[in-house]
Amino acid sequence: MDNFRNKFIEEATEHINDLEGTLLLLEQDPENKELVEKVFRIMHSLKGGGAMFGFERISEFTHNLENIYDLVRNGEMFVSKDLLDVTLAAVDHLKNLLDDRKSELPQTLDVHQNLLAKINNILESKNAIAITKDINKDKGSTNVTSAIASKTATYYILFQPNENIFDNGTNPLYLIDELYSLGQAICIPHFNRIPDFDKLIPTQCYTYWEVILSTAQPFNAISDVFIFVEDECHIDIHKLSDYNLLENNEFYGFIQQALKSSNDIGIDNLQTLASRINASIMVKEKKTDDRLAVSKENTISSIRVSSEKLDVLMNLVSELVTTQARLSLFAENSNNNELIAIAENVQKLSRQLRDIAFSIVLIPIENLMTRFQRLVRDLSQELKKEVQFVAEGTDTELDKTIIENLTDPLLHILRNSLDHGIEEPAIRVKHGKPRQGTIMLKAFYSGANVHIQISDDGAGIDTEKIRQKAISKGLISPDAVLSQKELLEFIFIPGFSTASNVTEVSGRGVGMDVVRRKIADIRGEVEVESKLGVGTTTTIKLPLTLSIIDGLLVKIHDTFYIIPLSSVDKIYAAEHNKVVGTFNQLIVLDGQQIPFFYLRHEFELEENNAPLEQVIVVRYEDKRIGLVVDSVVGEYQAVLKPLGKYYKNQEIISGATILGDGTIALVIDTNKAIKYFAHKYKVEEVK
Amino acid sequence: MSNNKQHKINSYLTFKLGEETFAANVSKVLNILEMTKVTKVPKAPPYMKGVINLRGAVLPLVDTRIKFEMTPTEFTPNTCILVLDININGESVHVGALVDSVQEVIELDDSQIMPPPSIGTRYKSEFLEGVAKIGDDFVMILDMDLIFSTDELSLLKESVNEEQQQEQGNVG
Repeated sequence: MDNFRNKFIEEATEHINDLEGTLLLLEQDPENKELVEKVFRIMHSLKGGGAMFGFERISEFTHNLENIYDLVRNGEMFVSKDLLDVTLAAVDHLKNLLDDRKSELPQTLDVHQNLLAKINNILESKNAIAITKDINKDKGSTNVTSAIASKTATYYILFQPNENIFDNGTNPLYLIDELYSLGQAICIPHFNRIPDFDKLIPTQCYTYWEVILSTAQPFNAISDVFIFVEDECHIDIHKLSDYNLLENNEFYGFIQQALKSSNDIGIDNLQTLASRINASIMVKEKKTDDRLAVSKENTISSIRVSSEKLDVLMNLVSELVTTQARLSLFAENSNNNELIAIAENVQKLSRQLRDIAFSIVLIPIENLMTRFQRLVRDLSQELKKEVQFVAEGTDTELDKTIIENLTDPLLHILRNSLDHGIEEPAIRVKHGKPRQGTIMLKAFYSGANVHIQISDDGAGIDTEKIRQKAISKGLISPDAVLSQKELLEFIFIPGFSTASNVTEVSGRGVGMDVVRRKIADIRGEVEVESKLGVGTTTTIKLPLTLSIIDGLLVKIHDTFYIIPLSSVDKIYAAEHNKVVGTFNQLIVLDGQQIPFFYLRHEFELEENNAPLEQVIVVRYEDKRIGLVVDSVVGEYQAVLKPLGKYYKNQEIISGATILGDGTIALVIDTNKAIKYFAHKYKVEEVK
Repeated sequence: MSNNKQHKINSYLTFKLGEETFAANVSKVLNILEMTKVTKVPKAPPYMKGVINLRGAVLPLVDTRIKFEMTPTEFTPNTCILVLDININGESVHVGALVDSVQEVIELDDSQIMPPPSIGTRYKSEFLEGVAKIGDDFVMILDMDLIFSTDELSLLKESVNEEQQQEQGNVG
């Protein structure tokens, strides 16, 4: 049972998150019926699940909410801001109710009563309207039943018993009765075969019947009715429609008329009529069908898999890719055509498998947006500020573990922007800014990294304030000369807060240092840029740890290295003595002077004596820098593997990958490597 | 640091570094590999030999001899890599350790393991779980978790002076 409960909690959490997102969308687009429908549906499943697994409060709670949204759904109530406020508060409350530890706390119970009262208020205030519209509501519900009923199909059955059917004791009327029991039926008896009285033989059957049957039973159920009389009669069964035609006025009228006249209706007539009616029903039903289809898609389009299994899958796939590379290499050398063909097939398959497997563990940061939107919405109300939240590039995908660790830092940065960044509307207007502040979240790929930028058009950070604070804390001497960037670095120091008044939201001095530490845990970096009066931009740079990168495979001495292709600009060949033994570390390529690093020197290897060296020009910030290697092997798709804890101080190499023959190639983080080399030269110059 | 659970397995793998014999609890040793191709990682400390390909995983390789302040390992047909499961702050991390040769697996009762002597060894006693006498040899049982999770470069005692002080303290 506990197991089921946990499952429910897990599912309910997902539902609640879904609900939150939908509600926020609904706020933007209150007229959207589909969203209302979705809200209702989620409430409904929460209610059902809650009751089943002993979360009575949840079930009681959602029941009332569900009622409200039922009214909205039927057009008897409108999505108002009040309603959304209460619902969103309810969403938070639901989260607490799910948590065993919190659900029994007195404050939770207080909130519970409070919200219940609010919900009831809303319900009661609408009751007056609701009553007058009751008829409408009824109509709404019949629509629903007809939608269900329309799953039934309509059949035409012609039952013509042989004249001697009575001989074996069959009563045809019983068979007709049986048909009636299958669903809704109309029977048209025909007596036109009955002969004149003097010729009539009472032990013979002259009557035959036409039956129109609407039933949810399958075709076989109908033919089974006649199973024992098959040889003694003529039976014709046709499906007329996938809908219940007997509910259609036009069709019903037609049948009624046929009942009055004693003529045969005939299957042909019926079918033409039926097909016409079918078409019109289909158009009508399409809309509801679509809706049903969407909800169906929602329920089966995803399955729950434990992340452990995914990790195992990833490892296996990586091993498979590596093994496959070996196979390809072996096949190529074997000159066996059949083997080469097989190897190629395996390669194709494993590539597809790899792509799928990688895409499974990557999730778009879209998943985080709901929480952010919610935060901005609630907090801006609380702080009486007007803020719009814009997100861009939310389809940027990151490893799931990175996403998980990203939430808190991002929330914190957003809170900072809201609390300290964006000014109150009046002040904004005074400064000639639009009343409404903007917080923008932008995510994009940059080389082998993903950048997430949060920028606001608020007050910016006063570096002079930071300076004063740093002096008063004794961190710098009053006459120290520091750049803007260096001053901004102080906000990452634990306990350093420039906010003069501590608020609920932020300014307690635990903040940016935690953000930086958390981001560093996932091997990312945080930078802040700010201009007083213009705004602040926080940039988080994240590695794509668990991903494949397109790289350039190069060789230095006996070791293979991978340079991420995304940062490579151009490759040049250069004479050995142009790059070795120069004083200024500059080389002229395409008429441009380009600073370069001879990697053999940097990696403390002896010079090689080859006449030609390869200069790989990479982009570093906005500059172009050359990296000199022995030779370029070619392009390579590298499955990035971390070097692990033992190399955690190793910044130049961001990871390793395994080549086809099992050799390990090291992946160079060009940004960090160049930073490191440049720093080293700077230090040497000073000396 | 040492985990009590591990003492339930009383099997130890012995190996040699130079002339000295050491032992590690088998629960720490996942695998013994022959010497394989090592990829050197630039700008790493000298005892970090590089990385090897362990069935598709990248395994860091430590030159144990350098950790023990011996000359770097010279590769012979006997050189082996022990794949160790090291517990670093509660996290299980795999690492390869180069040893000159692997000897055997021995069974040792807790009663056979003597506490590490504070004098007479060159190594800091916290890195030793104990000492056992096998035949005429003394085998030093190492605390692998501690040795391979410390950033400390040297496992040797700080200086002769300190050693003498300790000695005096013990005598007094």
